[in-house]
Amino acid sequence: MISANRRAYRNVNIAIFVILCVGALLAMAPMLYMVGTAFKPDAYLPEFPPQFIPEQPTLANFETALTSRNFVQAFLNSVIVAVSTSALVTTLASMMAYAFARFEFRGKRFLFYTMLVMMMIPSMMFIIPQFIVASRLQLTNKLWGLILVYVAGGMAFNCFLLRGFFEALPRELEESALMDGANHLTIFTRIVLPLSTPALSTVAVFSFLGAWDEYTWALTTLTDENVRTLPIAIANFRGVHATDWGLVFAASLTAVIPTVLLFIFFQRYFVQGLTAGAIRG
Amino acid sequence: MNPGTAVTRQPLLKRVNTLLRYSPGHRWYVPYLFLLPGLTLYILWMLYPLVYELYISFFDWNIMPGQVSEFVGLENYREIFADSNFWFALRNTALYALVTVIGQIVLGLAVALLVHRVIFARRVFRAIYYLPVVTSWVVVAFLFLYMFNAQAGGLINYLLVSVFHVLPEPVAWLGNPDTAWVAIDALGIWKGVGWSMVLFLAALQGIPVELYEAAAIDGADEKQQFLHITLPLIRATLLFVTVMLVIGGFNVFISVYLMTGGGPLHRTEVVLSYMYNRAFGRLRFGYGASLSYVLAAIIVTINFVQMRLFRRPTIEY
Amino acid sequence: MKAKWITILLALALLIPLGLSQAQEEVVLQFWHTYNETSPEAEMLVETLIPMFEEAHPGIRVESVPFPYGEFRQTMLTALAGGQGPDLARLDIIWSPEFADLGLLAALDEVMPDFQDYADEVFPGPLSTNTYNGHTYGLPLDTNTRVFMYNTTLYEQAGIEAPPATIDELAAQCDAIKGLGDNYYVFADGGTYGWAVLPWIWSFGGDITDPEITTASGYLNGEATVAAYEFLYEMVSSGCFSPSFIGAAEVDASTSYFTDITASILDGPWMFPIAEAQYPDFTIETALMPAGDGGSISVVGGENIAMFASTAHPEEALEFIRFTQSDEYQLAMSETGQLTVLPRLLETEYYQTHPYYGIFLRQLETARARLPHPAWTTIEEVLTDTGQLILRGEMSVQDALDAAAEEIDGILAEYAG
Repeated sequence: MISANRRAYRNVNIAIFVILCVGALLAMAPMLYMVGTAFKPDAYLPEFPPQFIPEQPTLANFETALTSRNFVQAFLNSVIVAVSTSALVTTLASMMAYAFARFEFRGKRFLFYTMLVMMMIPSMMFIIPQFIVASRLQLTNKLWGLILVYVAGGMAFNCFLLRGFFEALPRELEESALMDGANHLTIFTRIVLPLSTPALSTVAVFSFLGAWDEYTWALTTLTDENVRTLPIAIANFRGVHATDWGLVFAASLTAVIPTVLLFIFFQRYFVQGLTAGAIRG
Repeated sequence: MNPGTAVTRQPLLKRVNTLLRYSPGHRWYVPYLFLLPGLTLYILWMLYPLVYELYISFFDWNIMPGQVSEFVGLENYREIFADSNFWFALRNTALYALVTVIGQIVLGLAVALLVHRVIFARRVFRAIYYLPVVTSWVVVAFLFLYMFNAQAGGLINYLLVSVFHVLPEPVAWLGNPDTAWVAIDALGIWKGVGWSMVLFLAALQGIPVELYEAAAIDGADEKQQFLHITLPLIRATLLFVTVMLVIGGFNVFISVYLMTGGGPLHRTEVVLSYMYNRAFGRLRFGYGASLSYVLAAIIVTINFVQMRLFRRPTIEY
Repeated sequence: MKAKWITILLALALLIPLGLSQAQEEVVLQFWHTYNETSPEAEMLVETLIPMFEEAHPGIRVESVPFPYGEFRQTMLTALAGGQGPDLARLDIIWSPEFADLGLLAALDEVMPDFQDYADEVFPGPLSTNTYNGHTYGLPLDTNTRVFMYNTTLYEQAGIEAPPATIDELAAQCDAIKGLGDNYYVFADGGTYGWAVLPWIWSFGGDITDPEITTASGYLNGEATVAAYEFLYEMVSSGCFSPSFIGAAEVDASTSYFTDITASILDGPWMFPIAEAQYPDFTIETALMPAGDGGSISVVGGENIAMFASTAHPEEALEFIRFTQSDEYQLAMSETGQLTVLPRLLETEYYQTHPYYGIFLRQLETARARLPHPAWTTIEEVLTDTGQLILRGEMSVQDALDAAAEEIDGILAEYAG
């Protein structure tokens, strides 16, 4: 009796495992298809039957993309923008979060609820006035125009994320440091930040990816080919009449690889960051 | 130092204390110093634009430098209410949100429950399902564009026609509004399932196993356990996921912009693509600004309603 | 030790800007256009013409910046709004009135002392696309039109001996072509935008608006235009014409022409270099647009060169404009499929003996331009959508055109005030 139950239990587990594998395959299939297509030569029209592994694989698409001056420039631009955004967001949001977590000050509640409500508004709602402001400040068509807007857009969410984390830190360390005469900047940099590496890593990685993938604002403000970022460069590979999909996906892969790498190395933090935000609600 | 002055300084500080309501142990300006850099950027690029946008919405705004804009008062808002294209786009967006949110929650929860059951390779599954979430919208939009190609060799057409024989002949997915929505919704769900799955998984892991065991002893079967233990205890996560997914659903833009451009015949237009087109395509920035405000109001309202509906006291166990 | 390294690094850092700054005496003109980077036009421009200009004008450099056509208009408007516009641009003729209306272009008749000399040298039709509200905001750069191109292979197979002279003859080809198989078409085009439908509308004797462009009612929904759309609907729904009109075909119109799926298309002179490059075994045969009750009327395309009011180098920019109106420039671009705007060049041996420009020039004698109105982009949207509604069978021709006429009347009224 007992062994029959256990066998049934194991069978169910195996069935579940199989289902998950199939599901994972379905989830991965489009990505694998993209990888395969990147190696297809002259892929203007999908072949019949579609090939996940091309019959005549070639590196030509990667060659074309990587030797295109504009594409390489776009890659570099994206690196600059994403790294700067990530660094600035992490620094500024953690400072703001610390203020929320450890201090009382006039306007705290107002600011808190304002930021909360504004988080609900889709970022594209701001694009028109942001564009006008950028025009007036002569920041259109410049990478700084991108960075500043990205950083501003990431303030609210990351501030809340980190605030929740900071609040959960035990106060004793900070209080004893205060009593020893340390000022708040020292406490912040020497105690709070080092203890918060998981949350900070989450913020850094997410804001990097956000800036890396952002398309709409970049599309709106950038016209010069020297300052275009990666998503725009990829979109430009789409032709008016016919599109070389192999080229598009080879370009896409070069953009996706940093994402995947970051993801593999920082997987723990992704999950932690998400769930921390969820539980704080 | 003169003791007299030290004594008189104290009450003054105390008054400043109370005024600024700060906790003792630091100077009054310390929290503001921490806030200042981030807040400055936030005000310049988020708060100020939001207010400025309201101002713009009362004009027929001329974007070119040195040009005059005509004040039109509430005309833009009046036009919105009469604009059937806008309401159609809103309907499209709402339907998209409905379909994709339900899809992501149901599938996300289902997968989370399954992954929760297996110990082996849990991290791997989590990673695989989550990968689409972190992939760029631009890349996946092109990917689905290619997969839903109208030709017989398009992946979806091939599977449905030649492999599973569900359809008699290849479909021009993006050439037809109804079928185009299938592609757009599929993309939305596929890209988001991993996100909700990860959150549900974490929530599930927070439920003590003893509860299930106790229920099993009392005679409850799987379904009852799910309904009476699992669901209630992940309520907080469920609410959070729903709210975020709805926000995300209304945020849809890139997939529509790159896959159909709002067509054919503007039938796949969503609110954001409509606003973008009116502002940057037709150069009607004033109208676009008023659209943004109306939309923002709608979305915030929806979120508040959601939060009200879902709120119940936390369950003690 | 550390201090020494810091000083060295600082010194190096200071040198970098020194190295980067060049002599600022050179004037750089930004010239934006839609020639694909790898196209023969772009190559001619960048490798031959611009160096020619720069040699003749030391101290002026011209930077050629290509953009995809689909985003060009919006990109330019965005850049100009942000004060980041170019000095010169090759504008599609349909954009000149709009850009002029927005105050973006320099009025050449005012800022160019010898403007009239150049204006006298060009075809009046293309020149007129530069005028708005009494001033002229550019000079024509190239012109083109669509002619009837037919596939001799399919004609042979279907037993068709000669290209149709009239629209009725074209329709009569249906049985023969469909006899080859279901997936063969008499004619294909890419949609219902102006460039596609206007030859039909005009050849049927119809129009979008009255000549003064004040109203669409009575014209867009008038008898002749209705007849044109009914014809198109008849052809598409019966399978005579390719479903590419409604975006439901497997391949686009020109590809289907080159790959022997469609028997004929309407297209421009650029098809010849394309055929040479991608389909070297294919021979394009041409004829005039099949005539209807209104004649054989095609649509004029082309581009103008315009100078932006915001340019910092008007004198240099004008020099480049003068250069584009020279024989050297016009003849060089003619070799890449860009028809000249200078009548005097038609006498040259090049044009007299040109293998295919002849038919285009003949078609140009009667070809008409799309509405030279600042709101053309918006009007065309209405036209396109209406055409789609009709061809997809969702609205009757009369109803759809009535609604469109009303909408266009509204748009025109806004500008009249």
